[in-house]
This record gives sequence, structure tokens and C-alpha cells, in this order.
Amino acid sequence: MVGLIKRNLRLQFNSFGGVSLSLMGAIISFVLYLVFLRQSIASGLSRVPDLKQILDPWLMGGTLTITAITTTANSLGQMVKDRDNGALRDLLLTRPSYYHIQGAYVLSTILIGIVMQGLVMTFMSLYFSLMDAMTFRLDWVLPILIVMILSSVVWTTVNMLLLSFINNVDSLSKFNSIIGTAAGFFACVYMPIGLIPTSAQWLIEFTPAPYNAALFRQILLKDPLNNSFKNATPAVLNDFKESMGIGININGLTTVYSNILLLVGFTMITIIAILIVTNILKRGVLKRH
Amino acid sequence: MHFFEAIHLTKKFNDKEIVKNVNLHVEKGQFIAFLGPNGAGKSTTVEMLIGLLTPTIGEISLEGIKVNSEKFRNKIGVVFQDSLLDRDLTVMENLKTRANLYQNFDSEYFNQIIIKLELEAILKQQYGVLSGGQRRRVDIARALIHQPELLFLDEPSTGLDIQTRNKIWQVLNEIRKTKQLTIILTTHYLEEVEYADYVYVLDHGEIIAENTLDNLKKEYAHDQLIIHFKGSSKFCDLIERNNQQIGQDLKLITNSNIEAINILDDLKNEISSFEMRPGSVNDIFLELTGKEIR
Repeated sequence: MVGLIKRNLRLQFNSFGGVSLSLMGAIISFVLYLVFLRQSIASGLSRVPDLKQILDPWLMGGTLTITAITTTANSLGQMVKDRDNGALRDLLLTRPSYYHIQGAYVLSTILIGIVMQGLVMTFMSLYFSLMDAMTFRLDWVLPILIVMILSSVVWTTVNMLLLSFINNVDSLSKFNSIIGTAAGFFACVYMPIGLIPTSAQWLIEFTPAPYNAALFRQILLKDPLNNSFKNATPAVLNDFKESMGIGININGLTTVYSNILLLVGFTMITIIAILIVTNILKRGVLKRH
Repeated sequence: MHFFEAIHLTKKFNDKEIVKNVNLHVEKGQFIAFLGPNGAGKSTTVEMLIGLLTPTIGEISLEGIKVNSEKFRNKIGVVFQDSLLDRDLTVMENLKTRANLYQNFDSEYFNQIIIKLELEAILKQQYGVLSGGQRRRVDIARALIHQPELLFLDEPSTGLDIQTRNKIWQVLNEIRKTKQLTIILTTHYLEEVEYADYVYVLDHGEIIAENTLDNLKKEYAHDQLIIHFKGSSKFCDLIERNNQQIGQDLKLITNSNIEAINILDDLKNEISSFEMRPGSVNDIFLELTGKEIR
């Protein structure tokens, strides 16, 4: 399986175009934020002190979620490409079984998701530290790394399930476009969740995206929120958290631990669905030429 | 026990039988050819034999090892009709990646294969930018990389120039001799079948004939004597046999050279020219299926 993982990683990082395209969602959210999103969100929150110190990490949380979604989708695209161009038939003749081959796609994708989130995190931290004097704290590193691993696992499984139904490269590129566009809305980056209509909020809350973004934001915003809201009542802080998606309202705001539990839950359900679907679809994936 | 065998192999798609009760017995070191027109079921049969397609009925085994097991996969190599390696990787990366997926990797043998197939110059080139012939040589190297005992070649020479075809067969014949490699080939190129030890002719998913090539030729492909007469061929009637007259030409089926010489001797004063055409694989094919092979 190590051989297969190496192959998948090599294919992924060999094509610079593919890697940079997979980051397009993250790049767009970052650029839009700098161009106008920051100003338009800030205009509604003029009474919050040190707002930049809150909005920059808030954007980072959402952008990292987008990165996890789009880079894992892009990496798992290799599975569809292999099915479509027949490489899977060649791989199936080697020592690893079908399940090992599928496992290798999953593991290499999880790795790629973590590496790409790491790159995006590093870039944004450096940028905001230099431009907005954002404080980067070393005690973020471990919890953020754990959340990156968790997000990579969650989105690898979700994308694995979705891509099980896609058998050709044409549909794959359509899928990637849809995922790239939708990710920003689902991670509530283009618009804070509080400004989204209730029915759309309800739809978003059925995906792991808002909990994933909330989890990142809860870690990154812990100190900035304490500073800016030290004189505010807990109710005011809660309202702010709810409207900005730093906690999702399910009979009260989700905490770090409930977000982790929800993400693990999503992963388990998705894995069960994948196992069912894989067994059904296994016979159909060997495309004839 | 045979080295490789398939018993009662049948494949149905939506209740339509694509392959019907194919039985196959192969001994070690043999070169087996599958001959059949497009759509005869050759590729479907091969897909079942290599374990990529589950037969509706039937069993396949290699030295008693069941198809699709890890041991089975380790013992077979396959050259597919299409080139299936990773286009974005170099030749070397492709070969190394695939070699890592097997147990029997021997770097000395790997180097030998690269030299034999003349791949040294293109090792650092991307697989996707190679010419058809170069790509095919890489495909053959990939199929041989883990020293398989049984090699499947699914129409490997389609679209290749004569030099590449000769090169490929030169290497394969060498390995056959030194390593007792067993080969199962499906092809459209009749000259490739000429070297086969045993031939199966497939049509509509069924084996309609099987034998050594010589025996098949004896049975189905007779030598033809074509005589061109000086004037009108009024002598046709003189020869009591199944013959065919086209203009001033007369096509005769002959059973031996002596018979042909006797006919020519009888008619020598009337003959403008003649041609003796030995029976070919194409004749076997025409006789059995009523179709041209290509």
C-alpha cells in the first residue's frame, strides 16, 4: 500500500496546475476578504473593539475548511481518473487488492489535505502577522494540527462517498467546480452564517462544514474574543458567536468538544455509507475500453 | 493438472451470452493464440482469464491457484490493448511505481528488460508524450517487470510499425526460451499467429475450432493453384473438382504439390501463367467464420 500512496502523492505533486487549482477556493476566499468582505462585514460590527484581530483568524478558520474540502476532492479525483483511463485495471493486477487500492487513495488524500491546510495556514499566518500585526501563538500549533487532521479525514470520507458515483473525468471537473464554489458558502466565509436565510442555514448545518469552520475559529479566536468582549455580557458574546459561526446553534452553541464529536459522527456515518456503496459499485468500476 | 486452465467459462451480460462455454488448457512454455473477428468475445475472455471480470459460470486456475488471488496476480503479466500507465509520470517512475507493487522485484532483471526493449534513452521522458511504439515497449516492460510465468497480450501490435513489432517479438521469444514464459495472445495480425503452438478460433463467444496451426491449416486452409489461360478457359470442365472460374483465371484447390504439378503438366500448352498460394491463417478464418479477419 505504501507503493500506491507514493504513486498517488507523486501524481498529485507532479502537476503544479492541479495542486494550484485545488487551492482556488481558498485563494478566492482570501482575495475576496482582502478586497471587500472584510470591510462589508466590519461595517456591521463597528462597535466591536480590535475587530481586525477577530476577523483575520475568523477568515483563516473558514479558509482552512475550504482548503480541506477542495484539496481532498481534487486529490481523490485521481481515483476517478484511474477508473476512467483504465489505470485501475492495471493496478488491480498487482499485489494490493481492490480494498487496498481504495485505502491508498484515502490515505494519500488525507496526507495531501493536511499538507495543503498546513501550507495555507502558514501563508495566512505570515500575511496577517506582517500586515495586521496578528499575534501568532505557538500553543495554537498542536490543537490546530489535530483539527487539520480531523478535517482532512472528514472531507476525504465525504468526498470519497460523493465521488463513488462519478465515473468519468468530464463529470469530475464539473464536480470540482461545484465543490469549489459551494465550499465557501458551506464554510460560511463569503457570508457569516447569521446573515444567511434560515432555510439555507438548515441545509448547511446538515454538512460537516460549519462545525469544521467553527472548530477552527473556536481555537484561533479564543484570546481575541476574550480581549474584545471582556466588558460584554455572556449573552452579547453568544449572539456574536452564533451570528459569526463560532459555534453552531443546536439547542445551544456547539463547543470545541461537541464540534469534534459531530465531525467524528459525520465521518462514521460516511464510512458506513462508503462501505455499502463500494460493495455495490465494485463490479461497475472496471470500465471497458 | 495443466499449467493453466479455464473450464466451462461463460459470461452473460443482461441475459445475453457474450462468452459461451470456453474450455482452455495450456501447458508451461506454450504460445497460445486466440483468433477471432472484432466482437468475437476475445477481450471478454481475456478479462475473465486475468481476473478483472467474474465469469457467470466457470473456473480458472494457474498451477492450481485460483484466479484473482494475490499469488495468481503475481504469476501473470498483462499487456492491454490500450496503454494504461500514468501519463504524467516518466517511464522510469512508472516502471518503479509498478515494480514496488510486486514481491518478485529483481533489479538486475529490471535492468535487463530495459536494455532488451531499448528503453534507456526514454527513461526520463514523460510516458504521455511518447510515440505509440515507444509506449508499447514500456507497456511490455511493465508487464514483465515482476517476472511473470504467464503473459497475456491483448492485441499488442495494433497500430504499430513493423520494426516495433519485430523488436517486441524478438524480446518475447528470447524470454520464452530462457524463462519458459507461457504466452496467451489475441491478435488481428495473422503473421503473429504463425508462431503459435496452439490456436483457438473464437466467433460469437464460442470456440469454433482449436488445434495446432498445422492441423488447422490441413483441415481448413488448402493450397490454391491459380491458372491464367492464354485463351478462354474451356478446359475448366476437364478438371472435376470444386473450382472457381474468374474471367480467364481458374482457381483450384489442391491437396498436394504433386497434384498441382500434374495439372500444370496436363495443361501446359494452354497456360499463360500460374500462381501457387499456400493455405494461410486467413483461409482458416474465412472457412470457419465466413469473414475476413481484418
